[in-house]
Amino acid sequence: MPEAAAGGAGGGVVTAPVSRAGLEDRLRDIQAITDAALSRLDDRELLAELLERTRAILRADTAAVLLLDFASGELIATAAAGLEEEVRQGVRIPVGRGFAGRIAAGHQPVILDRVDHTTVRNPILLAKGIRALIGVPLIAGGKVIGVLHVGSQTSREFNSDDVELLQLAADRAATAVHSLMTQDDRIAAQALQRSLLPFALPVSDGAEMAVRYVPGEGAVGGDWYDVFTLPSGQLGIVIGDVTGSGLQAAVIMGRMRSTLRAYALETSDPAEVLSRLDRKMQHFEPGAVATVAYAVFDPGLDRVRICSAGHYPPVIASPGQPARLAGIPPGLLIGAAPGAARKVASVDISPGTLMCFYTDGLIERRGHPIDHGLALLCQAVTAQDPDAACASVMAAMVGGEPVQDDIAVLVFRRQLSRRW
Amino acid sequence: MSVEGYELRRIGQHGVVTVPAEVDVTNAGEVRQALLAAASQDLPILIIDMSGTTFCDSTGVQAIVAAYQQAAANGTGLRLVATAALNILTVIGVDQLIPIYPDLEAALAART
Repeated sequence: MPEAAAGGAGGGVVTAPVSRAGLEDRLRDIQAITDAALSRLDDRELLAELLERTRAILRADTAAVLLLDFASGELIATAAAGLEEEVRQGVRIPVGRGFAGRIAAGHQPVILDRVDHTTVRNPILLAKGIRALIGVPLIAGGKVIGVLHVGSQTSREFNSDDVELLQLAADRAATAVHSLMTQDDRIAAQALQRSLLPFALPVSDGAEMAVRYVPGEGAVGGDWYDVFTLPSGQLGIVIGDVTGSGLQAAVIMGRMRSTLRAYALETSDPAEVLSRLDRKMQHFEPGAVATVAYAVFDPGLDRVRICSAGHYPPVIASPGQPARLAGIPPGLLIGAAPGAARKVASVDISPGTLMCFYTDGLIERRGHPIDHGLALLCQAVTAQDPDAACASVMAAMVGGEPVQDDIAVLVFRRQLSRRW
Repeated sequence: MSVEGYELRRIGQHGVVTVPAEVDVTNAGEVRQALLAAASQDLPILIIDMSGTTFCDSTGVQAIVAAYQQAAANGTGLRLVATAALNILTVIGVDQLIPIYPDLEAALAART
C-alpha cells in the first residue's frame, strides 16, 4: 500500500520505539514554539518558525503549509521550509486532488511512502526528489483551513508517532493562523467599511442630517449608508444591508455602493436605479443578497421619492405628530430573481419633518417579533434635531445591550423655515 | 441526503421541510443546506414550513432565496407556510416570489 489513512490508532502503520521521555521532549519543543509565537510573532513569522522546528523534530527535509482559499476552494502554498519554490511559484491544489487536496477533503492525515505522479499532483514535490510524505489537516472551528505536510528526500516510513506530533503542531498552528486570519479579516472589513462611509455628510441647503454606525460584536457586516447630491440639485439618500458578514460582505457592500452611485447619475428614478443595480449584482455577484432603500429628494426638499428593495421603510415624523412608518410598497430584495417589479412611493415633506433610515440590526431582536421593534422605533422617533433624534433612537433601541448585528441609522430633517 | 434535524417529509407528491423556531446567523448555515438539499430533489412541489418560526433574520432570508433559486433551476415549485414570520417575508418582498400560505393544509391544497 503506497498510501495509508493514518487516523486513530494507525492501523498497519509502523510504530517506532520512541521512549515516553523522548516523546515528551518533542511535544515540549512544539508547544514552546507555538506558545511563544502566539504572543509575539505575526502570521508569516509564526508559520516559518513552526515549519523549521517541525522539520527538525521529524528529521524531515521539507515542510509546507497550504491554506484554504474559501473563494476558490483551492489550497494555496503559504509557507515552506526546504520547499520554498511552492510558495514562490504560487502552488494551488484543488481540494480533493493530489496529496494535500486529499488531506483537506478527508479531514484525515495521509501518509505516502511512494511519491510519484499517481500519488501527488504538485510537480515540485517530484522535482525535489521527495520520497515519502506525511500530511495533516489544519482545523479551526471545526473546519479545515489548510494542510501541513513534511517530506523526506530519503525513503522512510513515517509512523503514527510522527502523525501525532505533526497533528499537534498543525492544531497549534491552526488556532494561531485562524485567529490571525479572522483578526486580519475583521480589521480589513472595518477599514473598508470606514473608508466607504461618508466622512462628512454633504451640506445641502435646507437639510440637516446625523448618523450612527455601530459595527456588530459578532462580525463586521455589510451595512452601509450613503448621501450625495446629484447634478440636478436632488439629494440622494441610500441605506442598505448586504447579508453575511466579514470581509466578503464588506467588499460586496463597497461594490454596491459605487454601482448605485453610478446609476444614480444616469437616472433620477429610484426604481430604475435599483433595477439596474439588481441586474448588475445578479450577473456579477451571484449568490449575494442585499436589501436597499434609495430616496431621492427634490431640490426644494418638499417631496421625496423612495424605492425599497426588501428594506424596512423609513420612519417619518412631522412636528407635533406621532411618527409612522413610511407607506412604501415592499419590493423584492436585491439578488433574488431577475426582473422584479419595483415601485416608487412619493412622500410630501413639510418643513421640520424628519425621516429616520435604519438597518435591521436596529429593530431585530431574538425573542421579539419584528412588529415589536418597529413599534418601539416609531415611539422613539420625534421631529427634533437630527443628532438628538439619533441619540434618542439609539438609547431606546440599543441602550446598554451588546449589539450582535451591525446598526446603521441615518436621520434627515427638512429645516424649519426661518420665518416659522 | 438530508441535513440532520431537517428531514424532508413526503406528503403525496409534495416535499415538506420544517424550519426551526428561530433562524439567525447561528443556524442559518444548516437551514440553508437543508433547504438546498430539499430543493435539489426534483420534487414537483417543495413546501418550506415556517409556521413555527417566530424569528428569521436576514441570513435566514438569504437561505430561503438560495432555496428559491435552486428550486427554480430544478423546476420545483416552492411554497411557504408562515404566520409570525410573514411580516419580514413581506417587507423583503419574498411573497412576490414565493406564494405564502397560513398553514400547511392550505399549502398542500393549493393548485398553483
